[in-house]
Amino acid sequence: MKLSYKWLRNYIDIDLNGKALEHELTFSGIEVEAVEHQGELLEQIIVAEIKSREAHPGSEHLSICQVDNGEEILQVICGAANCAAGSKVALAPVGADLGEFKIKRAKLRGEESYGMLCSEKELGISDNHDGIMILDENFEPGRHLSDYYDKSDVIFDVEITPNRPDLLCITGIARDLSALLHKSLQMPEPVLPAGKGDIRKLLKLENQATDLCTRYTARMIKDVKIGASPQWLKRSLEAVGMRSINNVVDVTNYVMLELGHPLHAFDYKLVAEQTILMRRGQAGERFTDLQNITHDLNAEDLVIADPQKVIALAGVIGAANSQISEETRDIIIESANFLYNSVRRTSKRLSIFTDSAYRFERDMSDEQAELASRRCCELILQTAGGELVSGMLDSYPKPVGTILVTIRPGRVEKVLSVKIAPEQIRRYLESLGLILHKEEAESMEFEIPHYRKDLTREIDLIEEIIRLYGYNNIEQKLQIRKIMNYDIFRNRRQVQDMLVSLGFCEVVNWSFSDPADLDKLRIEEADERRRFVTLKNPLGSSYAIMRPVLLPDILRNVLSNINYGQKSLKLFEMNKVFRQSSGKLAQEDYHLCGVMTGNREQVFWGRKVEDLDFYDIKGVVEDILSVMRLRNWEERNSDERYYQSGTGLDFYLSSVKLASMGKLDGKVCRSYGIEQVCYSFDIYLDAIYRQKRELIPAYQEIAKFPPVLRDLSFVISREFDVSEIRKTILESGGKQISQIVLFDEYKGKNIAAEKRSLTFSLTFSSSKKTLNDDIIAREMHNIIQNLEKKYRIELR
Amino acid sequence: MIEELKRLVEQAAQEINQAARQHDLMQLKSQYLGKKSAVNGFLQRLVELPTAERPGFGKIVNEAKQKLEALLKSRLETLKDAEYTQELQSERLDLSMPGRRFERGVLHPITQTWRDIEDLFLGLGFQVADGPDVEDEYHNFDALNTPQDHPARDLSDTFYIKDDVLLRTHTSPVQVRVMENTKPPIKIICPGRTYRNDNDATHSPCFHQVEALVVDEGISLADLRDMLNHFAQELFGPEIAVRIRPHFFPFTEPSAEMDMVCPKCLGSGCSLCKETGWLELGGAGIVDPNVFEIVGIDGEKYTGYAFGLGIDRIAMLRFGITDMRLLFGNDVRFLRQFR
Repeated sequence: MKLSYKWLRNYIDIDLNGKALEHELTFSGIEVEAVEHQGELLEQIIVAEIKSREAHPGSEHLSICQVDNGEEILQVICGAANCAAGSKVALAPVGADLGEFKIKRAKLRGEESYGMLCSEKELGISDNHDGIMILDENFEPGRHLSDYYDKSDVIFDVEITPNRPDLLCITGIARDLSALLHKSLQMPEPVLPAGKGDIRKLLKLENQATDLCTRYTARMIKDVKIGASPQWLKRSLEAVGMRSINNVVDVTNYVMLELGHPLHAFDYKLVAEQTILMRRGQAGERFTDLQNITHDLNAEDLVIADPQKVIALAGVIGAANSQISEETRDIIIESANFLYNSVRRTSKRLSIFTDSAYRFERDMSDEQAELASRRCCELILQTAGGELVSGMLDSYPKPVGTILVTIRPGRVEKVLSVKIAPEQIRRYLESLGLILHKEEAESMEFEIPHYRKDLTREIDLIEEIIRLYGYNNIEQKLQIRKIMNYDIFRNRRQVQDMLVSLGFCEVVNWSFSDPADLDKLRIEEADERRRFVTLKNPLGSSYAIMRPVLLPDILRNVLSNINYGQKSLKLFEMNKVFRQSSGKLAQEDYHLCGVMTGNREQVFWGRKVEDLDFYDIKGVVEDILSVMRLRNWEERNSDERYYQSGTGLDFYLSSVKLASMGKLDGKVCRSYGIEQVCYSFDIYLDAIYRQKRELIPAYQEIAKFPPVLRDLSFVISREFDVSEIRKTILESGGKQISQIVLFDEYKGKNIAAEKRSLTFSLTFSSSKKTLNDDIIAREMHNIIQNLEKKYRIELR
Repeated sequence: MIEELKRLVEQAAQEINQAARQHDLMQLKSQYLGKKSAVNGFLQRLVELPTAERPGFGKIVNEAKQKLEALLKSRLETLKDAEYTQELQSERLDLSMPGRRFERGVLHPITQTWRDIEDLFLGLGFQVADGPDVEDEYHNFDALNTPQDHPARDLSDTFYIKDDVLLRTHTSPVQVRVMENTKPPIKIICPGRTYRNDNDATHSPCFHQVEALVVDEGISLADLRDMLNHFAQELFGPEIAVRIRPHFFPFTEPSAEMDMVCPKCLGSGCSLCKETGWLELGGAGIVDPNVFEIVGIDGEKYTGYAFGLGIDRIAMLRFGITDMRLLFGNDVRFLRQFR
């Protein structure tokens, strides 16, 4: 719903800027979806007088005007048919910013133009774009248009929640704001003249569907003069995006926007037999609406009819057969209320969505109908003249009684954990229009205003209180303590789970170890890991220290399993290792240690049985490190002496060692009684968790254009490492290379002994364009040239 | 010429409908509809006709082309269908052969149980706290109200590193460390590895324990009983009741030992529960005011409960493992049973 700030200020004296009001609205539960500043444009527009107009020699449509801007005569080229010498017009001078474009000095078909004459639409005054805007002849050239038109307004587009139909109008919002900002509220208090005659002699109501039509009032005005609405009325409607039609229809719309209650006006002459019926539709009955669309009615629909025809779909839309026209003299003002779900069903079934239906289907108030009728008549008398007919017809079968709701301040405190004094509760609720009915020691009883059907229980009132108190003024409880590190907790599990998926069995060993294990692993005397945490009373010499490494226990597990005939093993343990620290206690760090031996995969029919190799375990380590969200680590030859020389790797990040892996030295294996090839890794979990890592991967846009794949196969000396070759390819391949995958390595037949053949699969992709063959060929050429230069490769 | 065309189309239609292979169809297509085909030839011969007849005949030729195209297409579909049907017949799988799997590993049953317990408590709003295995005497004993001459402090019970540094004998020191640093409300569990100088068929010198601690206003024995029941039922089944009986721990007052209905016989008595129908589950109690005083929590304002259980023992009960040594033997034939 659109809300005009200027209009709002007719009812409440507020002086807030747009931002501040937006904030107040939002935190009172009225969400502001958009804010539009109107009329800023007019401050840049100048009143000018056209002194002369000549046809443009180069164009049939353009004219050359000399205009007086109050200071000088300017030449302006204009394309409108209605520009005439002597007219006062709206000039956008050079430099004016019309939002969509800026006015510049221009040459139009060879003629200079120093500005633009504007239409009403261009100025945001109306939708009129038929020619330029002709101003009142009394306007003074040189003055700003804003001196004459006060168009400055802020329009808020607000979202009203379905429980608050009372806010679907400007006074409803004003009422909420007045409660929120403690400002007094001026509600319209329409007063009607006594009128003449007696409506009962002119019109009869017959409510034949009291279940669907809960109230129906009618007032009449005779001898109205249908015509254009006065400026203020037009302006009010247009500001919130509603079209002006005529003075009577505009007033009904105005009152709907003002009080929230939709109204309808009928031409009295077109209502047959001076009788209005409220009845259900009949099967087979048809109805043609104001838009000239015909609908089939049924008994679910509530219609407004005269004895001969349907004159409106109740609360949804009127009919052309009884609408206000220029010939209309006497009018009937309908102000009624209809059962919300009946309106909703009809509106949905027939796909007629009107402002009126939107409001009625949210359950309007019966009581409001009379006020809206009175206000509507008051304004019609003002804008369209005529004479009020005395009295009001009113079919109101079941007048709503007083609704009372009890609230206990103790309960308020319990729900909100704020102590609000009973007087304050009373002030809050009274500011919303509730009336204190009875006050007792522990409770208060309030009468609910008719327009707040959403307030039926104590908890509803508590919600109103906290809305006014301010949700965020409640002191936040500080009860939740951060004790655990969820990231590490989760990540440890992720790593374990991944290893399980990769076929690893988890082992759990005691934390005691034998110092001799470190000798077996050839860990040097000076190594940190030799700063043992030694037990004073161990179970025995093999359990003399807290283990500084996990590997020996796992190797013992490997041996015992091999002895039981299990020769293909993937084992890991995730546990603490210990070493002396400078403090009183020990340095305890979680490590993840694993050993792999035997076949690569479980033996299955149709699957080749292959031994594990170095790259299998390297893949596992790469997987672990990436699950731990480590990126761009550095690989160095390992300094661990328990790996076979030249087959161990250490992993570093900013010179911190975070992991190692390799093929275990055969003698080390034998010292544990193992005669088969074993590979092991040791991941320093806690050391990695101390590193800065990107815990949540950030989404990267997927290339819109199809990637291009190219294979590159060549023979190269074995002295060059793949990492180095990759780097060269990446550096010479340009920005479009998105992936380099080593596809194959081949040594042996047909390849010289000191050489090997490598095949890389390269992916080129771009987020900007489709890569054509020329671009790819150029990149490939570059890559090959560089490889040839650096490594003397031979292409295959 | 129209007759000639008609004959050509008839002949083509017949050949198309008799074509047995997709390849033959392709040949027919170029023969009859290709650039130099007979049908196209008719179009070139349009010039031979009087001008008035040309459009009419052109239309007829085009219709003939369309007809042949449609015939080719439908014949192609027929041949493809036939080929597919044949394929289906020749493909016969022995569905009984085993699927080709990748070996899946397994988490150790202790870890599985550990995680289940963590998850149970995480869901109840607890956090998981961690502490050192190598602990000082203060946190392991003194702060837990254990007197200097308490037998638990003996070398025969506790592993020592230095005179006042030891391997924690329970995870209670983690509770102390959390209470030292955190204001109530506190809701934690501390699972971890603990050590006692004991090594026989039913005792391991390294074992795993989990303790729970709740400190808040209004925490009572009733909350403890509620939690114990919930815990036992979640882990062992809805029939499992828990009872507590008076006991002594230096750090709780009142203290209790808890038993649960034997999950094997559900209380009727069996070898597992030595015919009692009950199994000892662990220790529990209301946090001793002295402990609160030591860690600086207002024992008048706050109360708390704590309880502790052996993870290994729970794992054994859940999986029906009868020998504790299997847990630390790491025999993959044993481990893979818990996949």
